[in-house]
Amino acid sequence: MDKNKIIENLSGILTPSQVNTDPEDLYDASADRYKKYAKVRRVLDVPMPAAIVYPKSADEVGKVLSFCNESGLNVIPRAGKTATEGGLENWKENTVVIDALHLNRILNIDTYNMQATVQAGVPLQQLEDELRKNGFTAGHSPQSKPVAKLGGLVATRSIGQFSTLYGGIEDMVVGLECVFPSGHISRIKNVARRSGGPDIRHIAIGNEGALCYITEVTVKIFRFYPENNRFYGYLIRDMETGIQVLREVMVNGFRPSVARAYSEEDAAQHFYHFHKDKCVLLFMAEGPQGIVSATCQAIEDAVEKFKTGVIEQVDGQLIEDWFNNLNWSQKDIDDEMEGMKQNDSHAGFTTEISADWETIPKIYNNVMQRIRSEYPRAHDLTMLGGHSSHSYINGTNMYFVYNYHIHCEPEDEMRVYHHPLQRIIVEETLKLGGSMCHHHGIGKFRNEWTMDEHGSAYYMLEKLKEAFDPNGIMNFGTIYPQKEGEKYQQ
Amino acid sequence: MKIICAVKFVPDVDSVVNIVGTATGDPETIRTGRHPRMILNPDDACSLAFALQVKAGNPGCSVEVVSAGPLSVRPHMEDLLRLPVDRATLISGRFFDEGNSSGRHNSSVTGDLLAGYIADRPYDCLLTGTQTLDGGSASVPVQLAEALGLDQMLGIIRVDPHRFDTRRAVFEVADDTRITTYEMVMPCVLSLTRESGYKLPYVKLTDMRRDVSDDLTVITAEELGFSEGEEGRTGSFTRVMNIYPKTYDEKDRHIVQNDEAGITEVFDFLKAEGFL
Ligand SMILES: Cc1cc2nc3c(=O)[nH]c(=O)nc-3n(C[C@H](O)[C@H](O)[C@H](O)COP(=O)(O)OP(=O)(O)OC[C@H]3O[C@@H](n4cnc5c(N)ncnc54)[C@H](O)[C@@H]3O)c2cc1C
Repeated sequence: MDKNKIIENLSGILTPSQVNTDPEDLYDASADRYKKYAKVRRVLDVPMPAAIVYPKSADEVGKVLSFCNESGLNVIPRAGKTATEGGLENWKENTVVIDALHLNRILNIDTYNMQATVQAGVPLQQLEDELRKNGFTAGHSPQSKPVAKLGGLVATRSIGQFSTLYGGIEDMVVGLECVFPSGHISRIKNVARRSGGPDIRHIAIGNEGALCYITEVTVKIFRFYPENNRFYGYLIRDMETGIQVLREVMVNGFRPSVARAYSEEDAAQHFYHFHKDKCVLLFMAEGPQGIVSATCQAIEDAVEKFKTGVIEQVDGQLIEDWFNNLNWSQKDIDDEMEGMKQNDSHAGFTTEISADWETIPKIYNNVMQRIRSEYPRAHDLTMLGGHSSHSYINGTNMYFVYNYHIHCEPEDEMRVYHHPLQRIIVEETLKLGGSMCHHHGIGKFRNEWTMDEHGSAYYMLEKLKEAFDPNGIMNFGTIYPQKEGEKYQQ
Repeated sequence: MKIICAVKFVPDVDSVVNIVGTATGDPETIRTGRHPRMILNPDDACSLAFALQVKAGNPGCSVEVVSAGPLSVRPHMEDLLRLPVDRATLISGRFFDEGNSSGRHNSSVTGDLLAGYIADRPYDCLLTGTQTLDGGSASVPVQLAEALGLDQMLGIIRVDPHRFDTRRAVFEVADDTRITTYEMVMPCVLSLTRESGYKLPYVKLTDMRRDVSDDLTVITAEELGFSEGEEGRTGSFTRVMNIYPKTYDEKDRHIVQNDEAGITEVFDFLKAEGFL
């Protein structure tokens, strides 16, 4: 089907005003932040989608999806556009982007049953602002909170900065509504718990738009006690000490909302005002007073236990101030884009992995060693480090961060810098049994390792695709490796 | 039009070693430092960038690069072929062999070697940098011009692309007080500085993956007809006197808060330093 025919059909299914074919918007819709530099330099190597559509209900989403399904058109679901792994990148000539712009209503905030129901296009910040008015919080606070929307946050299995207390999005979603390529609308009801077969919420949560379109979600809400917040910061000798203290707090059964350990390099870029070229360990405790007091005691005890690795304590106010300015607004994102027009540089890239407590330090050390010794552009790195920022009773994550002078053509940047670095990180992680993607999703640029990530369980992932998206129209190349997409990767 | 660029690869560490008392670097001492990476000398990179700009606007133009240096710079020369330059030649041999402790190169010999090679090549213009990061006396371009019997100009900050052809070149040279425009008859040696700002294009990824090892010409001083005495230490009129690590002053780092006191302190500092 040619593009004009696609647009004509979409305009008939929806209204013409719900179908966007503006070339600039289509260019923007061709890729996400994975190729931010190439995008700004106008050298994207992928096709533009045919149109962006803005349905107003699950019914309309269903109609668009079944049209695309019957016509073999690729569909890219879209919400806040903060994707970092290529989930929004387009690899097909005929693609329809379904944007959640008009699915923008907060449907219900139920403070008795402690849950809120919102449509997929509601920015998380908007929900949080509404909840705060009445002394509640969603407990979900990714750095992209001001921009990311609930549909995208659920679709990527995102995680917030206070996850160690509140959990990831998967711990918060109570029920949801989603639409499959056939047009079928599924509503998963909101209950406290059930044992009615496998937990089908998890088919939609984390599907990255590769199985279904999420139109509505119900999440838990929490009482908010900002007056009880307590912050701790320490300069520590090495990452091992940091990981040991984090583990001690977690395995003793405590849940600080924030528990982080930063390498020297990463600490230097975050805590320029006090890092003294040391690693940094920090905590935040929040919640009811009694829980906060007990958590603080647990933190202090853990630090005491590993005091040989602790150099000095820093003023908790410094940590609080830092936290209050950590999120990225749309303006920050726009400023970075603007900066990339002028300079051969950007704010850097990250790769986030997870593993159990004993494996994380090994992965960290192996990665650092390999990058320094075998990455051919190591001399261009201006920063290479990492931090652990989300801890669990059995392990933690590692957020590798790196930046570099860009000494290549903009269209080659990812292949010359980010991807080879990410490859080392992913290889070392998978080799030691960790997960290659803690919270950004697989997108399109980690799909070459999806099978390794899941091993024999890839069978289950594959069957989901066959069952729910038999024609393969949902977000071609996302999560599932595709031969045809390799030309955009290698 | 045929342009030949004479270039040198230098250590990317002006913080590690700097050489005084001579116009020339000492690869041995540099090697025992922090194994610095070699880069194309910045002034030379500008001259090559200008040449490639001329070539881009004139399909008939060819650019050849020649360098006298150790075999270890081979991969860097290959990268120039990937830019692409039309021909790249590395003059090497015992003289530049980093394992040979008696082997010292010096500007006069380098100039002679380059001239010995270039004399048999067709060219309308020779481009070089003015100074090298690891040297600093700007003598190679002068010696090269002298050996070839050509006019030469150092310190060029801009070449008029519309008045640069097989007959003449019009260009600007900056000194401390003024910018002067010159016209010179071709062939001649034009030596640019990094202030010219000509920027080399990056090697494209597809070209990075291209095997160009067979395209690089490597010749030795002997093949150019230089005898042992001429190419070795005895051929040198200059000598390394002393080598010392370059150090930078420790900055007195003082962090202030974004509050009244901090703002006042920054304001007072800027005033005291004469910025306000
Ligand atoms: C500055 C910055 C900071 C970030 N910090 C964090 C962080 O702290 N924690 C974290 O987890 N992530 C973080 N991210 C990554 C990103 O914000 C998250 O992945 C977020 O969940 C994406 O939400 P979005 O609304 O922007 O989705 P989009 O970018 O629009 O889409 C993301 C993916 O979800 C799919 N999708 C979108 N909407 C739907 C839908 N309705 N139905 C089905 N699939 C859909 C898309 O196809 C795509 O694959 C950050 C990103 C940036 C740019």
